Order: sequence, then structure tokens, then C-alpha cells
Amino acid sequence: MTVPAVELDGIWKRFPGVIANSGANLTVRPGTVHAVLGENGAGKTTLVNCLAGVYRPDEGAVRLGGREMSFSSPANAITAGIGMVHQEFRLVPTFTVAENVVLGAAPRVIDQGGIEALVADLAARFGFDADPGRPVWQLSMGERQRVEILKALWREANVLILDEPTAVLTPQEAVELGEVLRRMVAEGRSVIFISHKLDEVVSFCDEATVLRSGATVAASLPVAEVDASELAKLMVGDVAVEPVPVAVAMPGDPTLTVDALSVRDARGLLAVDDVSLEVRSGEIVGIAGVAGNGQRALTDAIAGLEPVESGTITVMQHDVTSAPPQRRFRAGLAYVPEDRLGVGLAPKLPVTENAMMRAYRKLRRGPIIAWDDADQLTDQIIREFEVKIGSKGAPLASLSGGNLQRLLLGRELTGEPDILVASQPTRGLDVAGVRAIQRLIVQQRDNGTGVLMVSEDLDELLALADRILVMVEGRIVGEFDPRVATRADIGAAMMGGSDRGTRPDTEEVSS
Amino acid sequence: MQRRLWQILAVLLAFTLVAAACGDDEDDAASGSASEAADDTTTDSASASEAADDDTAAEDAATDSGGTSAVTAGFVYLTETGDAGWTYAHDNGRQFAEEQTGATTLTVENIPEGSPEFDTAVRDFIDQGADVIFGTSFGYMDAMEALAAEFPDVAFAHATGYMSNDTNFGNYFGRIYQARYLTGLAAGEASASGNIGYVAAFPIPEVIRGINAFTLGVKEANPDATVTVNWTFTWFDPAVEGDAANALLEGGADLIAMHQDSTAAGEAAEAAGARWVSYNSDMSAYAPDAYLASAIWDWGPYYASVIEAVADGSYAGGAYWGGMDDGIVQIGSLADDVSAETTALIEERAAAMIASEFDPFTGPINDQDGNEVIAAGVVPADGDLLGMAYFVEGVIGSAEG
Amino acid sequence: MKRLVLARRETTTRGGQPLAFLVGLVFALVVGAILLRITGDPVLDVYERMWDRSLGSQNTWSDTFNRAVPLALAGLAVSIAATMGLWNIGAEGQIMFGAIAATFVGRLLPDAPGLVLIVAMLLAAALGGALWSFGPAVARSEIGVSEIITTLMLTEVASRLIVYLEQGPWKDPDGFGFPGVTPRPDQAELGTLWERTHIGVLIALAVIIGFAWYLRRSVWGYELRIAGSSEKAAAFAGISVRRKVLGVLLVSGAVAGFAGGIELLTTTTGKLNVQISNGYGFAGIIVAALALMRPSGVAAVALAFGALQVGGQAIQTNPGVSPAVATILQGLVLFGAIGAAVFSTYRLRLVDRQVAES
Repeated sequence: MTVPAVELDGIWKRFPGVIANSGANLTVRPGTVHAVLGENGAGKTTLVNCLAGVYRPDEGAVRLGGREMSFSSPANAITAGIGMVHQEFRLVPTFTVAENVVLGAAPRVIDQGGIEALVADLAARFGFDADPGRPVWQLSMGERQRVEILKALWREANVLILDEPTAVLTPQEAVELGEVLRRMVAEGRSVIFISHKLDEVVSFCDEATVLRSGATVAASLPVAEVDASELAKLMVGDVAVEPVPVAVAMPGDPTLTVDALSVRDARGLLAVDDVSLEVRSGEIVGIAGVAGNGQRALTDAIAGLEPVESGTITVMQHDVTSAPPQRRFRAGLAYVPEDRLGVGLAPKLPVTENAMMRAYRKLRRGPIIAWDDADQLTDQIIREFEVKIGSKGAPLASLSGGNLQRLLLGRELTGEPDILVASQPTRGLDVAGVRAIQRLIVQQRDNGTGVLMVSEDLDELLALADRILVMVEGRIVGEFDPRVATRADIGAAMMGGSDRGTRPDTEEVSS
Repeated sequence: MQRRLWQILAVLLAFTLVAAACGDDEDDAASGSASEAADDTTTDSASASEAADDDTAAEDAATDSGGTSAVTAGFVYLTETGDAGWTYAHDNGRQFAEEQTGATTLTVENIPEGSPEFDTAVRDFIDQGADVIFGTSFGYMDAMEALAAEFPDVAFAHATGYMSNDTNFGNYFGRIYQARYLTGLAAGEASASGNIGYVAAFPIPEVIRGINAFTLGVKEANPDATVTVNWTFTWFDPAVEGDAANALLEGGADLIAMHQDSTAAGEAAEAAGARWVSYNSDMSAYAPDAYLASAIWDWGPYYASVIEAVADGSYAGGAYWGGMDDGIVQIGSLADDVSAETTALIEERAAAMIASEFDPFTGPINDQDGNEVIAAGVVPADGDLLGMAYFVEGVIGSAEG
Repeated sequence: MKRLVLARRETTTRGGQPLAFLVGLVFALVVGAILLRITGDPVLDVYERMWDRSLGSQNTWSDTFNRAVPLALAGLAVSIAATMGLWNIGAEGQIMFGAIAATFVGRLLPDAPGLVLIVAMLLAAALGGALWSFGPAVARSEIGVSEIITTLMLTEVASRLIVYLEQGPWKDPDGFGFPGVTPRPDQAELGTLWERTHIGVLIALAVIIGFAWYLRRSVWGYELRIAGSSEKAAAFAGISVRRKVLGVLLVSGAVAGFAGGIELLTTTTGKLNVQISNGYGFAGIIVAALALMRPSGVAAVALAFGALQVGGQAIQTNPGVSPAVATILQGLVLFGAIGAAVFSTYRLRLVDRQVAES
């Protein structure tokens, strides 16, 4: 038997009040893609962070190629051949692709052209399209992920860890990623693929290790030989996973009307180009599209976080085109932004202070905040939306991703909004979390709220939305009825304008 | 100076913290207060309250060497003692007095003027049994007045100020202008070009008086010579003093005199091949080629006399402004190339001043603009000298700074 | 082969900070003892006296408490700005200008009754401090000029302004031609609580508690935290970051200026001079940092800091530690505290050399 590329043996990791890993094991053979499956909070990220040098295990051994290692920092792990692509990318937005790739590991002589050529070669070797001269801030999330992977490859990572990599990808991009991973393992590298999406695991991975509550419940299952429902059961234990029931929509009056809206992005380009749409009460309008086609600019502009170039935005008959975010909220607009921690929440502040962000003006007695009321509000959100927290005074950042999202959604919904704009509301959540959030959104719709939901997960939109709009290059290029449309139809529309940004070689020529 | 250090540390700290992620704390050094040794004072003119008597103390000082006085004396210094300059001269005096009287002495250095550290230091001295406090910088004056009122049983003697009472708070200073006049005689002869530079701290009577007396000496030796003043607005800042001297040297001066506490001006003169008249103490070691003469302090006998007076209960405050007759001001060693005639003249004038038969400010004296300010044969009263705010003929520069 | 590396801790334990501070203190005392042995000073005597002259005897509490007042207020000023991630490096200058403003009122109303005058002077001092931070505040909020640079530069301006006032317009006519400002009116003096401990101690304590409470509980404090957290989050919550930046820097300046007012009303000399701020503004940055930028912590840290200053000065006179060594000792204690702070966030680990180097 070959020596495993990676062995994590009996890993324990405790945080104050939480045991993240309790004797977790993981063994990865060289030349394989190995899935680490588990619900959010199951300890997947902590476990691989122990391998990547971010954390040090309290107990247990980390072995690479049979040799015991002790990493004191991510830099140590990188030099030992471990590359990690985190959920939150760690790129310098103003640097080019090539600069980000070589940052901190540049060849001695820095020659812009030479480095760009080397990076382009590397990208080509693994079947990436990437324009090494483009600044990262111009890239979509999917493109940024490739830069992260290139970074690891540039550092000659022998083991690549991907934490929820497909969360930011379209189905097509996910397929492409799968191909890249196959090429990497074909060269003898190993890939650790963290996910909770069973279909991906089944299609990309050779073996799977399942974690539950910090411990390994199944190790190195050969994926080809087990079936997906088996894996699902292992992940969630005895809890049954039911699909979210969706009743027939009964749309009412318009809640949100966007008319001929255009928004320019930081580059001065039209990120949203003459978009008109309407969301009526009691319906879910889904926006499908490849990452980086203007979805974020559209929702930010609707929420008032991005200035409008032209066009109007109307919420419940009020023209809010140039109103500040707070006025829009009062007019009935709730917003769940894509960037939860940076925009919607303040991670360093306590849970309560996050929960009251929308309502605090109503919780004041003179200049002082009525903290009892604020606590009550928080308790109410926590109760109704089943947010699991340590304490209301603890920093928000101590919450897991799913709980963050529940808190955020709960906060936005407490005002009983007429229209909910949710951007990627389930991204990065575990199965149970996704279901819970989806159920909440459907419930809102059933209560008569209009919902505008951006998602890059087409299956989600097909399951939930009453209408699906497809956004390409800042425009709405088509509308589909999910009851009759197929994945293929919508996928084709998403590719519609299709030589766009994700094909850097063509852009290079044109620019 | 030290304050600057804290300042830099604090700012560095701030930047570090800005750069580092938040959450780490740290800190560092800066205690603000240790601060600021730098500037300050030796200001002063002596007793404005009429300098009158030399008698206060000096006389009975110090004759019985190796005394066994039970007195404890505390000395508060503005700067570190160092090995030249104002505080150094005072500390020499302290050591002399300690030997003479057998008193116990306590010292503290680097106490800024006008800061609460002075109060803390004095109270600490008193808790340790101090019977007399010497404050050697002008800016201690107000605090000493207040403390003298609070501690009537402790004697307070303040150098260079003008406040006093007639029980336990007095001021003391010396007629350093007399010695400066003598150095001017040597300088007038030594300057071939007749272009003399003067690095001066602050435009206050003490400094102006010194410049004038020096210039009177210079012109006596060389009537065509001029003295150009460059104000530094600091008592002690070697960099600034050196720059000021260099500016004068570049302007053609071949001799630099100074009213400063560091040796920087002398070092500049040495480097330029010019001559130098030093102040506070005989600084010939710092610029052996440039050194010409010096106006120096000898505080020892005065300190010994005050300690004696405190011991026998006769100290009664007042003002003391001693001259060469008391030996509190002296002329330091003369360079070898000072001519025999000039040496003789200096000795003769010194003797006359010691005998109280001569004063450099005897009229007629014209001011910078040629107006007669002191009539022929008149020796100005101490009050006029203490408030002197004009330059005499031959000085180039503004007496207002 | 092993070697030592510094690694970030994943978690910081509660109460770790005071503990780390103590460890840092012990470290400083040990290193200091070695230093004192080398310089030939009596180690135990030095430490005993440092303690006696700062906190160890009732007689000297006053000095320590009085010293702690401006340190704590300056620390408060810095930490208030820090709630929004801003750095008021110029508290020193704001203290000076606060004292200038208080002196101005004293000159304006020389015959006002004591209490009226004191209140007016303190208010003027706070206003003066705010005025001195107004320029940096506007520059920061409107065009994004770093407040670090501007506040620091204005410190220099304030000190020159005092020199100018001493030599020019506010020169004491009874000063025999010496530079120096006319003393404040006699009735404008803060009384004492016991011995020489002045009422400013209570006032400062009240101000600190008030601010700590207000920042934690008020809408304003909450909005500062949100605005300091991220611009987008603030926009989301409907908070104008610009207005908050302006407001917080003005308040920070006012608190520092207030400290200048207290100093002017308590200084023995009764006079405005460039030493009125005595480095408190800069030391306040350290105080605030040691208090982890929490307004509630500055009082305790300032007291320790004041004790260190007073005690450090005392060992010079007896047993006669040289001032350089005394300063090094003070620095060591602070260094220990910094180190402790670092080690509450990082820790040393022995790692395999190959791993570290490969």
C-alpha cells in the first residue's frame, strides 16, 4: 500500500465553549480527489485548517507522506507543499492576476512580462483561461477562485485544499473546475475537496470522508461504490432531508419596480445596463447568471449601496432611486447582501448590536439605546430563526456561516418587509442551513412578500422561483418559467452573450 | 529632547498598531513625562529685587573645610550633569559645598521647567529631610515660590530668578558680565578680521548684558571690530547651536563667543579653524585649538555659604548677585597665544573688579544706533543692568530677537 | 533541530490581558534587577523606593493620582477616536490649546467668582481642544487626509503658539522682561480632596466613567462602532461615516483640551507654558493602547503609568540611580507590558527546523 499523501490522525481542536474537532481522522491517498463532507459546523474547515497551518491541533498528529509535521503558520504549510483556497479569497484587488499569483513567492528577478508569461503557461498547463495582466478587482468570483488555485500551484502545492469551491461557480464552471482537478491528480497531486453538495462529490471525487459533530463518521469511502443518499444520511445523522415544499404562487401588486436601470462599476463600465424588472407581492423572482454579470451591482443599487447612473427604482409606489438605504428599508425593502460579513454585518461587534442594526433608531430613549428592548429583539430573532449563538455579547464572528445568515435574514425580516432582495442567500451553507433559509424565503413569499433572489445555483432557482430572469453582461436576456424551462434552456441563455469575460484570450485581443 | 523621543515612540507605536491587526495591544514607552530635558533655562537675571548685597551669604562661606554639617541639601537640575555646561558647573559647586560643609546632598536631573515633576522632586527631597532646596533653572521660580510658602521651615534658593521673600526664599546669580568683558578683551585682540560671531540663547536681559559687556571688551582691544548675534532660542540643543555657529562662520566670523550650554559652537569653530570663547566652564578640552578664553562659574563657595547659613538658622532669603569679588564668576584659562600685554590688561581689570573699583558698564556708552545711553562717568544701577534690553554700539543684530 | 518562532494565538483567553501585564511587569523587574546589579545600584532599595514613592505610602499617593489625571484623560481622548479606528496622535497639542483657551478666559474674567471662573475655564478648555482638532477632523472626514499627520503637526503649532504668547501678547508685565504668561487668577484653582490630591481626580473619573458608559450605551456610541466596522455596513444601517468621523475627532479633541484645562487649574505655578502638557498627550496613546483602546480601562492604566513616572523619578534622588538608568527602568516596565500584550496574542513555539525552513 502506498504511503498516504496526508494523514490527520486523532485531531482534537477546542475553542472557548466549542469543540470543533474531537478525534477527527482523514487519510488522503496521492493522486486522488478526496471529499470532506459534513454539515456546516461539523468541523470540516477547522480540520483542514489544522493541515494548512492556520490552526494547531490540541491533540493528534499531522503527517505528510508519512512524516510528522508541526506547522506554526500557514507559511510553513505552504513551504511543505500544502495549498489552500479559502472560502473568502485572499487576493490583493489592485494587483494583477500574475502579481497575485507570485506574491510572496516571486522569482528573484521581477520582470512583469516574464512573470505574466510564466503564469500564463502554468494556467494553460491546467486548462485555465486567465489573463495574467488583469487586475483582480475586475474579475468575477469564479475567476478569482482560479487565481487562488494558480497561487497554490505556483507554490508547487502537492496537496490542494478547496473549501466549498463550487459555491461561487455556475454549473458550467463547476464542471470546468472538475476537469482542472482531474489534471492535477493526474500529475500525482492530491486534492481535498470540502463540500456539502452531494452531487458534486459524486461527480468529482474518488473518496469521501464524512464528518459529523467534529468527528469522522466514515473514512475514505470509495465514492463510486456508495450512493448519494447513503452519504447524506451519514452527514446529517437521523434527520431526514426533505425538499422544501413550494406552493403555487399567487402574485399580487408590484412591490419592487426597476425601470431602465443602469449602474456603473468602479471601472466606469456599465455593470447594470438598462435593466427593467418587476417583483410582485407573493412571488419569487430569481436572477440566474454566471458570477460577475452585474448581479451584485443590481442588488446593491436596489438597496441603495451603489449610486444609480440612470433609471428609477420604486418600492411600494415610493420612488427611492436616490434615497439612502435606511429610507428604502422603511419603505419596505429588506436586503440580504452577497457579502454578509463586510456589508450586512459587523463581525467584531456583538450579536445583539448586529441584530439591532436596522431597528436601533426605534429602540432609543433619548440619546440612549434601550438595551432591554434590543436584547428582546435579538432573542426574538434568535428564537424565530433558530440562530445558534454562544452569547448575545460574543462577537458575531464567532457564529458559523449558517447561523450568521439566519441572523441576517431574521433581522431583515423582522420589519415585515414588502420586498426581500436576497443575493446568494444560501451560498456556503450546509444542507440543513440551505433548507432552512430556502424555507424561510418561501414562507415569506407565501405571506405575500415579494422576493428577488439572486443565485448562482440554478437548481435552487428552479426549485424555488416563480419566474427566472437570466442576467448576462448587465442585461436581462431572458425570462423563464421554471415549471417548463429546462436546465439546458437556461444554461444556454446564461452563456448567451457568451464570449464575455470568462474568456480572457478573446478579451485580450479586444482590449 | 527626551520628549521628542517619547513622541517618536508614540507615533511609531501608533503606526505599528494601525498596521497590525487590531486587537493586539501594546504599548510602549512613552512616558511623557520623563521628558524634555532640553531646554531651558539658565535664564536669568538676578535679583530684580535689587541685587544689592553681596553680603547675604557668600562671605562667611566655606572656610572650614571638611565640616560635619547636619544639613541636607537638595539640588534640582534641568539637564543631565554632563561634563561641561550649566548643570555641570552647578554640580561642581554642589560637590565643593558637600566637601566643605559635610552636608548631605541629593540631586535630581532632567526636571523640566513648569512641569509637575519639579514639585514631585522637591517634596521627595523634603520627605528625605532636606533643609534647603536649590533650583538651578529660571522656570522653577513660580513653583519654588509656592513651595516656599508651603514649607516655611525649608530654605529655598533659586538661581537666576527675581522672586524672593525675606524668610526662606531667596534668589542668587552672578555678574558673569564681568568675566565676559574680560574675555572680550582677549577676543578683540585674537580676531584678525574684526568679525566676531555670538551664538546666543534668548533675547533676555541676562544674555543681552553679557553680549554688551563682551562687546565693550572687544572694542576696547579693537575699536573697529563688530559682534554679530545669532539667536538660537534654546539653552541647550547642540545641533541648533552648531548650525548657528556655522552660519556666523560662513558670514566671515573668525571668532565665536556664546551664551549656550553645550560645546557645539566650539566644535564648529574648531572645525572651521576659527577661535572660540566658551561659557559656564573651562571647555578648552573640547576644542583645544579654537579655545581662547572662557567666562566661568564657581558656585561652590556660595552653596557652602548658604548651607552654613541654613545650619545656623541665619538664612533669610533675599537676593544675591555676586561678582568677581566673591569669586562666583571667574575668567577661565587663557590660550597660549594671548599676548603678554592683553594678559596683563585682563589681570589688571580683573583685579580692579575684585576690588570693586571698576565696572565695564561705566559711561559713556552708546547704543547700537549711536545714542548715548550711559553718560560719561556714570556707573548704572543694578536695576538698570538687570533690565538691560538694548545692544551697545558694535553689536550687529536685534536685541528683540 | 528545533527553532523558536512566533505564532499567532487562535484565541485570546479572557482576563489574559491583566495577567499578561503582570507577567510583563515581573519580566521588567527581573531584567531591571540585572541592569541595576551591573550599574552597582542596590536592587531591593531601588524597587522598594519606587513602590514607596508612588503607591506604597499615603504621602505620595497625591503625586501619583494627580499625575494620572491628565494621563487618563489623554488616554480617554485617544481611545474615543479609536472606537472608529482613528488615531488622535495630537492630544498633546489639544491639551496645550485647551490650556491656552482656559488662560484666555482667565484673562477675560479676572474678577469672576472662583466657581464660575473654574467652570468657564474648563468649558473653554474643552472647546479649545475641539477647536484644535477641528482642522484635522474636517480634513479627514471631507477629503480623507490622515488624521495621524495633521494632529501631530498641530501639536508643534500649539507649542510655538505658547512661546509666542509668552514673549508677546500675554507676557506678564510683572515678569521683569522675562518671557512668561501672566498667572491665572488666584481664585481659579481647583481645590483638594485630601493632602494635595486635587478635585480633578474626581472630575476625570466622572468624565471617564461617563464616556465609557455613554459610548457603550448610547445611540452615538453604537453608531460609532458600526461606522468604524465598515463603511458599507454603516451605509447599510443608514449612518453617515463622514459625520461620525468629524464628531468623534472633535469629541476626542475636547477631552484632551479638557485635560489641559485641569492642568492649568492645578499647576503650582498657575501659568500657561509649553510644559503644561508635559508629554501626557503622547503618553496617552500608550495608556490607551495598554487599555486595549477601551475607555473603561484608561483610568487603571493611567494610575499605573503615573506611579511608574513618579516612582521612576524618585529613585534618582535616592538611592541615586542615574537618570539614564531610571529612564531605562521605566522603559523596561512598558516594554514588558508591550511584550505581554504581544504574547497574549502570539506565542512562541518550538518547531521542527526542516519544516520551518524547507
